[in-house]
Amino acid sequence: MRPRAAGIRTLLLLLGSLAVPVGPLRAQDVSVRAQVAPTRVGEGDEVTLSVEVAAPSFDQVSPPDISRLEDFDVVGGPSVASRFQWVNGQTSSSRTYSYVLRPKRSGVLNVPSLGLLIRGRTYRTRPLQVEVVPGGGARPPAAQPPPAGPSYGGRPPSAVPGGRSPQGNPGADVRVRAEVDAPTAYLGQQVTVRFLLDTQTEVLNLGMKDTPTFPGFWAEELKVPENLDMKRVQIGTELYNEYTLMKRALFPTSSGTLTVPPVAYQIQVRRRSQDPIESFFFTPTETVIRRTEPIAITVLPLPAASKPAGFSGAVGSFTLSVSADRKEARVNDAIGVKVRIAGEGNLNAVSASPLPELSDFKQYAPKVSASTSFQGERMRFEKVWDYVLIPLAPGAQRVPPVTFSFFDPGAREYRAVSSPPLGIQVARGDERPGLSSPAMAQSDVRLLRRDIHYIKTAPGGLVDRSRRLYRSPLFLVLVLLPAVADMGLFVYARRRDLSASSRRARRERRARSRARRRLKEARRRMTPSTSRAFYAAVAQALTEYVADKFDTLPGGLTQHRIEELLSSRGAPDSLRTEFHRCLEACDFARFAPTSSGADEMRRTLESAEETLVALERSLAA
Amino acid sequence: MRPRPRLALILLVLAAAGGSAARASTPAELFARANGAYEEGKYEEAATAYATILDYGVIDPRVLYNLGNAYFKMARLGPAILNYERALRIDPADQDARDNLEFARGRIRDRVPEPEVPYPVQVLQDALDALSSNLVSVIFLAAYLVASGLAGALPLVRSDLRRRVIAYTLAAAGMALALAGGALAYKVRDDASGRAIVMQDRVDVLSGPAADNTVLFTVHEGTRLQIRNRLDGWCQVSLPNALSGWVQATSVEQV
Repeated sequence: MRPRAAGIRTLLLLLGSLAVPVGPLRAQDVSVRAQVAPTRVGEGDEVTLSVEVAAPSFDQVSPPDISRLEDFDVVGGPSVASRFQWVNGQTSSSRTYSYVLRPKRSGVLNVPSLGLLIRGRTYRTRPLQVEVVPGGGARPPAAQPPPAGPSYGGRPPSAVPGGRSPQGNPGADVRVRAEVDAPTAYLGQQVTVRFLLDTQTEVLNLGMKDTPTFPGFWAEELKVPENLDMKRVQIGTELYNEYTLMKRALFPTSSGTLTVPPVAYQIQVRRRSQDPIESFFFTPTETVIRRTEPIAITVLPLPAASKPAGFSGAVGSFTLSVSADRKEARVNDAIGVKVRIAGEGNLNAVSASPLPELSDFKQYAPKVSASTSFQGERMRFEKVWDYVLIPLAPGAQRVPPVTFSFFDPGAREYRAVSSPPLGIQVARGDERPGLSSPAMAQSDVRLLRRDIHYIKTAPGGLVDRSRRLYRSPLFLVLVLLPAVADMGLFVYARRRDLSASSRRARRERRARSRARRRLKEARRRMTPSTSRAFYAAVAQALTEYVADKFDTLPGGLTQHRIEELLSSRGAPDSLRTEFHRCLEACDFARFAPTSSGADEMRRTLESAEETLVALERSLAA
Repeated sequence: MRPRPRLALILLVLAAAGGSAARASTPAELFARANGAYEEGKYEEAATAYATILDYGVIDPRVLYNLGNAYFKMARLGPAILNYERALRIDPADQDARDNLEFARGRIRDRVPEPEVPYPVQVLQDALDALSSNLVSVIFLAAYLVASGLAGALPLVRSDLRRRVIAYTLAAAGMALALAGGALAYKVRDDASGRAIVMQDRVDVLSGPAADNTVLFTVHEGTRLQIRNRLDGWCQVSLPNALSGWVQATSVEQV
């Protein structure tokens, strides 16, 4: 019974031990863990988020809900890796979901708690943090902190799929670099830049993060073969496979120091795995970002001293050819003339028409075509000007030599190339320029419809109108006559004025003697019977004296006017009063009803004589 | 196309014969006949008849204009431009002649840039160019007569007020006279300037008055030149853009 009982116990034990995995699933058998690696990255770098689910079976497990990852872009994943372990009779199985995340900003970013639905129950991971350092390309420090979140089951963290190994960066054996063929160039001279990939591991995929730009350069792409050529190179002590990823022909457009900016590549490489089984069955990959170093290029300006007059900015080495489509033409026939400049270098700057204005040809704006090609890594440029020339005059006409000057950076000097002149024999055309011929047009539509105005008729007869009025004798007469007449008038007026003034002077001179004569006459009438005549004579003598002195008519001389005239020549007041009194006395006596006596008359006469003497003295002064 | 020159020659002979016959006819009849020939497209005949009228001494601007038209139709740009210029000199108000001259000038081969003239000067020049010299002469004479009449009246007038009125009017008339005098001087100078037209297809302008001198530049028929000097059958000419040199006197015709 005892052995049997022991046997039964052993069986029960065995059954019990077997019953453990097949028993009803307990909640603690399921665990979820999330971790990010690395926890500190540069801006623009990527992190790997791994969500590990440990559960006895995975038939009812859904992937984590990553919709709440607000601070990151999901750029890869999920990739799923499963493990099954049997340790000391204990089985454990886990499944890992891996995502490649790119931070949207710098700073400390949160990976929130992620939920997984496992057999109808939601399990949550712990939230995590990632520190994103500003400034792209910052490599994580060598002493990488351990991954967030504890690992379990004694598994080395390196086994986490998609995670970076703390023992060594698998991307270290991949790098990109840029190189230029010349660190110094002239303005407009070609500089070739090559972008190279050196790798020791297998590169699965490759892409540029951004479209490369080359500020300050005019860039032209140089084709690289579809299947990249591989070259073995030794850098330091290491051997690398080198691929040329991209080539650009750069033409500096300004002088000074220009920079070829860094170009970032996103490279997917095969990760080296310590786990041979994993590396055999899976293709563990990793995406790394590599940047080229910026390259400074010194751009020299073109020497200004010896710059030729017609220099248009072409740098390189060029040839020139001028050809016409025919050697013989008629007046107004179109001749095609082609000017072709080709060679190594850039002709984009050349815009001026190389053919000068020609006096004997009408010239239309040329059709310009340009094309580029590559000879090795050097760009060849060809620019063609197609002219249409219309000969205007018959005879042996000539298209003069065309000269093109450019700067040769190899020789470091300006050079000029010329074409020989083209002779064109022009025959006289039968077209009359007077009739509208489209080829003669200076402007397009207008001329076809334009003609000269029609001739005039002369219904009123013809007149010779060529005579110039200013040349005719009449004109001279009409100019001279008024001049002569004016002169005559002037002379006449002058003489008239002269005679008037002399007459005035004479009258003034004679005033005194005339007054005296009148007074003498008055004296003869100094009788009572003729007293009126006496006073009239005295008054007349006085008035006429003033009229003579001032060359006016005695009739208009009023009392007031006499005062005015006398004071204008500075006669003293007393004299004027006396004069006035004298005249008044005369007037009074003349018109008084009674005749005055002889004494009265004598006094008046004496008074008048004295006044006149005094006046004469005063006016002469 | 070939027989055309011969036809032209015949026409020319006929026209010459007609011309000698027309000596008896009046200029008006000749003019009507020339216009008829022009209408029929016999430009050579028309030109000869117009030229005969001018030879009679009847220098009517309409005849010059029609002669210019006939030469233009014969594709002789030089004589055409010359006659338009002559017509315009007599009658600057003739817009037809001005248009045709401009049209003919647009067809000559030489493009000579005219020197830039400030805008007010340009306006003044255009205004003066639109007046005939005889009109300017009449305006000048009128202003002159008014001014001299007033000047003559001034010493005769005694009254102070009248003298003042006359003096002010005289000042105004004097100013008008000065302006008219300036305009007349411009016209006289313009008439006296040796404006000439290139009459040959292509004329080399030399550095001196002899055939062995260097060719400085070439001018073509219809181009307007300025004659600055004459010497032994040679003319020193200059272009508006200050180029100058010597040409044979026969290759240019003064306007």
